[in-house]
Amino acid sequence: MNCPANSWKQWLAENGPRLLLFARGWSNSRQDAEDLVQEAILRMWHHQADKGSTPPDLPLVFSTIRFCGLNHHRSESRRRKREESVIYLNDFQDVWLDPVLEEDEEAVILRHAVQHLSQKLRDVVVMKFWGGLTFLQISETLAISPNTAASRYRYALEQLAQELRRMKEDRNATA
Amino acid sequence: MQPLDPIEEILARLMPPALSQGRQLEIEEMIDELAGPDASTHEPPASPWWRSRMVIGGGIAAALATLCAFIPSKSNTPIAKATHASSPIPSSEMVLISESDRIESMTDEGLQDEVDGSAMHALRVNAVGQNSLRDEESGMIVQISELREELLLTPISAF
Repeated sequence: MNCPANSWKQWLAENGPRLLLFARGWSNSRQDAEDLVQEAILRMWHHQADKGSTPPDLPLVFSTIRFCGLNHHRSESRRRKREESVIYLNDFQDVWLDPVLEEDEEAVILRHAVQHLSQKLRDVVVMKFWGGLTFLQISETLAISPNTAASRYRYALEQLAQELRRMKEDRNATA
Repeated sequence: MQPLDPIEEILARLMPPALSQGRQLEIEEMIDELAGPDASTHEPPASPWWRSRMVIGGGIAAALATLCAFIPSKSNTPIAKATHASSPIPSSEMVLISESDRIESMTDEGLQDEVDGSAMHALRVNAVGQNSLRDEESGMIVQISELREELLLTPISAF
């Protein structure tokens, strides 16, 4: 019989990066994001206890991370504001996404642009693109219609394309 | 398969980083703690012969203790009220065999003035609620006692 701990660890190794990326959108630093991931996994463990202790479905974990993130926003908003300035100064190297190729200028521009998308658009992009969720799963996670999820995704891609064009034009102008 | 948007092609060249090694280990340790000892690798020790006899003996002793509790005692507190029930508690192997609510002591705390000028007679009551439950499987009887203190306020309209 497969030990639940082993299957959970395997599941974590497979999905940890995409959960961390999603959690980044709900936290101010990598450490906070990792806290969110850990908290969500703890909640999921108890949730799955009645379901044979199998690792959870990804949409449910995204939803739990979002819920934990909302809780943190509510209860620690003042502390966050205080820490934001410190994180801004010390966190400029702490990126959410790594380019696969070295010196990939376009990827670096888009990395920055993804981080600066609005929360609503970024959540959909992260869940769709790196989380591999369908629009239906995203709609269930965010309690929106599948059409809204799809239109947010398209709108986010448009914004990213626009940002990419703008950055390239700026660089060409200064070169 | 739908062709990728040019932006999606660039996004595909970005990968989310892994959890830090320290955090990965921390979560794995948490999972191990939550999972507890692996039942498949640790065989539970076989119960020795005396253990089952001890359980039976304990059950008999507890049954006797409960039986004694049913016998009225003169040393009991001044006011005692006991009700007996045999209704089984749903979704459990435990059966409620007795239920009692006993007043241990009462203290007259006299009159208390209220903000609106009226007076209340205060009586402090210490009571013990006691339930006896029998485990149908082992025959063990469990007694649950709950101590509580109440302050009874009675409005005084005339002296």
